[in-house]
Amino acid sequence: MSKTITLAPVTRIEGHAKITIQLDDNSDVLDARFHVNEFRGFEKFTEGRLLWEMPGITSRICGICPASHLLTSAKAGDDILAVEIPETAEKLRRLLTLAQWLQSHALSFFHLSAPDFLLGFDSNPATRNVFGLIAADKEFARRGIRLRKFGQEIIEILGSRRIHTPWTVPGGVREPLDPAKKDYMLGWIPEAKETVGLALDAIKKIHKKFAKEIPEFGNFRSLLVGLVSKDGGLEYYDGFLRIMDGNGNTIADKLDPKKYFEYFGEAVEPWSYLKFPYYKPFDYPKGMYRVGPLARVNICDYIETPLAEAERKAFKKLGGNVGVVNNSFYYHYARCIEMLFAVEKIEMLLTDPTILGTNIRSMASINRTEGVGCTEAPRGVLFHHYHVNKDGVIQKANLVIATGQNNIAMNRTVRQIAAYFIDGKKGKITEGILNRVEAGIRCYDPCLSCSTHALGQMPLHIELVSASGKVLDEVRR
Amino acid sequence: MSKVLVIGYGNTLRGDDAAGVHAAELIAKRHPEIICVRVHQLMPELAEQIAECDVVFFVDAQEDVTQVNARLIAPSVKTDQPRTHFISPESLLALSQQLYQHLPAKAYVVGIPASQFEFSEKLSTQTDQAMHECVAIVEKYLTL
Repeated sequence: MSKTITLAPVTRIEGHAKITIQLDDNSDVLDARFHVNEFRGFEKFTEGRLLWEMPGITSRICGICPASHLLTSAKAGDDILAVEIPETAEKLRRLLTLAQWLQSHALSFFHLSAPDFLLGFDSNPATRNVFGLIAADKEFARRGIRLRKFGQEIIEILGSRRIHTPWTVPGGVREPLDPAKKDYMLGWIPEAKETVGLALDAIKKIHKKFAKEIPEFGNFRSLLVGLVSKDGGLEYYDGFLRIMDGNGNTIADKLDPKKYFEYFGEAVEPWSYLKFPYYKPFDYPKGMYRVGPLARVNICDYIETPLAEAERKAFKKLGGNVGVVNNSFYYHYARCIEMLFAVEKIEMLLTDPTILGTNIRSMASINRTEGVGCTEAPRGVLFHHYHVNKDGVIQKANLVIATGQNNIAMNRTVRQIAAYFIDGKKGKITEGILNRVEAGIRCYDPCLSCSTHALGQMPLHIELVSASGKVLDEVRR
Repeated sequence: MSKVLVIGYGNTLRGDDAAGVHAAELIAKRHPEIICVRVHQLMPELAEQIAECDVVFFVDAQEDVTQVNARLIAPSVKTDQPRTHFISPESLLALSQQLYQHLPAKAYVVGIPASQFEFSEKLSTQTDQAMHECVAIVEKYLTL
């Protein structure tokens, strides 16, 4: 008799989801599924709104990565206006993108994942959280909060608000940078560098501490997709799409992100509201690909800042002879490398005199009725695709989010971890195993954007269900 | 003079969920001396700002109440495991206490009855009325 173990919702990820682990007649793990229960109708909601409103509207999709939607929406608007934005505007937008990476990655590493690593997967779940982290290492926890605050402050300075800022608009940005605020931001750099250094030291110790477990944390070959700069460097705001396979072969390069729909398809499954994007030439589900820090640091030829470049070289050595790091556990390391890059690059941008320029917006009216924006959000490449009428009224919108693009890989990761750690014959799962499965998902730092905190605050719910639908066991925490 | 912080939170695209944000905006207009923060959701970095204040109000839409209510809260790490996305006001107070060794003398959660969470940038009539009552209640507490 086959059984199903359900974990719902997954804790410490942004949004709501549950995990179902299907056992076969021998009580071995047959399959595992990462379900996303929330349906969001943002795309439909935007129909009939003006193009110029879209950055402000779409940035409200999420409280964690609003700036990414803001920027990508503005770029789709640039495309529809058919404008090239001024140099200063692009640099300011790049600054905003890096601030978004920094605050989001700091949250993921220091507060969502570090409790597992520093306190241990088998530690008391009541204290395996940020408070346990504070008890274990107050300074580490405090620095994590301050690093996130630095990113948030940049976002607030540039846009007047921490979230949902309408500062970025089609054609550029609304306000130039105040020189005094530039100096204030630069004042944060030494502390931020030091904190990221602590994170990198910590992650290297974590690699040693969990050396036996890491090979089971989503260790498989997949395609890796992301933006690279014109000459192959790590990119976050513009550039071309590159696709690498799990053997390190670049199978597609210099792809125009505006034609993303030619390269990627979206499959659907009846058990999840989250779509399953795949690389079309390989079909579904073989066209599984990963995006985000692991993909970005793998596919780029170099990183333009010196400290991050040294770390990238160390990262690539983890891939052995293949030279590709295929293990999802190393998302965390890649995330730390990107934090370092973000701090270094923020310093470079702020010390560039042209960042204070006042030519910041190209004005134009509707010159095209279709446009695509693409940036690298913290969790991976993000596309906004709009159709408008001649007055700029949205007729149709499609948003392809990073978390969705990792969907097939997240399911594969859960299945691998469950198969290794769960003994189905016992019919129960321990707290430590449960958390390892969840930690596998957290590698990807998924952002499901529940959109409203007033809804769906559910306790953790675990069900063991037979093939006939009978609940054999049930656990809540 | 006491340093007062009002944190209004919610999603401004989800109808009544934005009630706390609207209340904080109104309080900011009427009382420039009060620090008003409007956020999508509570986040750990707010702990530092909370630690610097004497009185804090967490203003939020609540689905399970029928009238505006204010309750005094204390730091607690037992009520939830901070999952960051849902970090509670009590947990934020605990973060302030543990990280910065300081707590506001008083902290309140002010709940605004809410029922409509579909995509909308407007409050329902009932919640809009309750939001104004909420502002009045906060103002009353300020005079105590």
